[in-house]
This record gives sequence, structure tokens and C-alpha cells, in this order.
Amino acid sequence: MQSGQMQAITGKELEYIVDSISNEDLLIKQCAATAATSQNPAIQQACQQYIRSMDHHLEMLVQALQQHQSLAPNQPQQ
Amino acid sequence: MYYQNQNQNNSAFMQDEDLLYTILADLKRTVREYTTATTESSCPTVRQLFTQLTNDTLRMQGELYNLMKQMNMYSTSSKALRQDVDKQIQDARNTQQKARQFVQQKTGGMGQYAQTPNVPLHQPNIHNPYYM
Repeated sequence: MQSGQMQAITGKELEYIVDSISNEDLLIKQCAATAATSQNPAIQQACQQYIRSMDHHLEMLVQALQQHQSLAPNQPQQ
Repeated sequence: MYYQNQNQNNSAFMQDEDLLYTILADLKRTVREYTTATTESSCPTVRQLFTQLTNDTLRMQGELYNLMKQMNMYSTSSKALRQDVDKQIQDARNTQQKARQFVQQKTGGMGQYAQTPNVPLHQPNIHNPYYM
């Protein structure tokens, strides 16, 4: 990512990032519950892989918030 | 007894099939939301992030679908009939031809559509009496 492209995020973008964090969180929990419940090794293995990918997604989303933190204005703007 | 005939452990919270279906449904919903988020992004780095997340989530959804299909947990809808496919091809060719004519009228033969196609217009190789 080029830092020159970085702009303050809009309210809409913030909402999408927050909703995406909820989605990834729910998916991680569903995969963990499925891996714990299933007796099938193929299903357990697939769920473990998905959890790793989704955890990475969560990290990317949180990092995106952090990267835009300092650009966010303190006052509402016209 | 019906339940004892099933391979699954009866004390399980839910059947494997139902659990995986729930994950698949949520992956599909998440892909849709990522796609919308991508199109609504203003900051290039946010758009790039959502594009990457769309592609990666789409990949996982495809993998899970294949896994469920292999395990016979997912039945696809029945095959489309040849006569229905033939009819749709004919309609699509019609639409395509009209769209090209429209473009030609509006652009006055300028641009890429001005060139004569180097392949002849497709003719259906099946002449179905129902639709001809």
C-alpha cells in the first residue's frame, strides 16, 4: 500500500469495516464450533484453515482502522 | 429407529451438514457485503483492502462448496434442458444484434463497432421446430 494514496475514511467506509469485523468474528466462531462438534477429520482440517484465513482478515480490517486513525478529523467537516 | 440409522453422533450439537451449510450461507453473505463495500469505497487503500477480502472470501466459499459436494451434502439444481438452452442462445443473439445496431445508430459507425466483424454472425446449428 502506498501511503500517498491514504485518505481519511468516510463514515460509510467506517461502518463497512466495522460490519466486516462482525462478519469475520461470527464466521470464526461458527468454524470453531463446527471443528469441535464434527467427528470428520476433513471437516476439522478445513475449518482450522478457514479460521486462520478469517483471523488474518480480522487483523487486516483492524490494521486498516489504525492506519486511518491519525487522518480522522476531530471536528465534523463541511 | 430413524435416528439410530444415522451415522452422526446423536449427542452432537448439530449435524455436520447443517453446520457447514450455515458457514457456507454466511460466506456467501459476507462476499456480497465485501463486494458492496468495494464499490462504495472512496479511499483507494480501503478499496484495495475490500477487493482482496472479496477475492479471498470467494475462494473460501468455493472451497467449502466443493468439500460439501464431495461429501454429497449439497445437491445442485437439475440440468437445464437442451431446448431451453437453444431458446436462450437465440434470444441472446437477438439482443446482441439489437445492441450493436443501437450503438451503430448512436455513434454513427465510429469506434470499435464500426469494423465489420471478422467472424460471421452465429447461426444456431439446431433448428428446433418449437421455436422456429
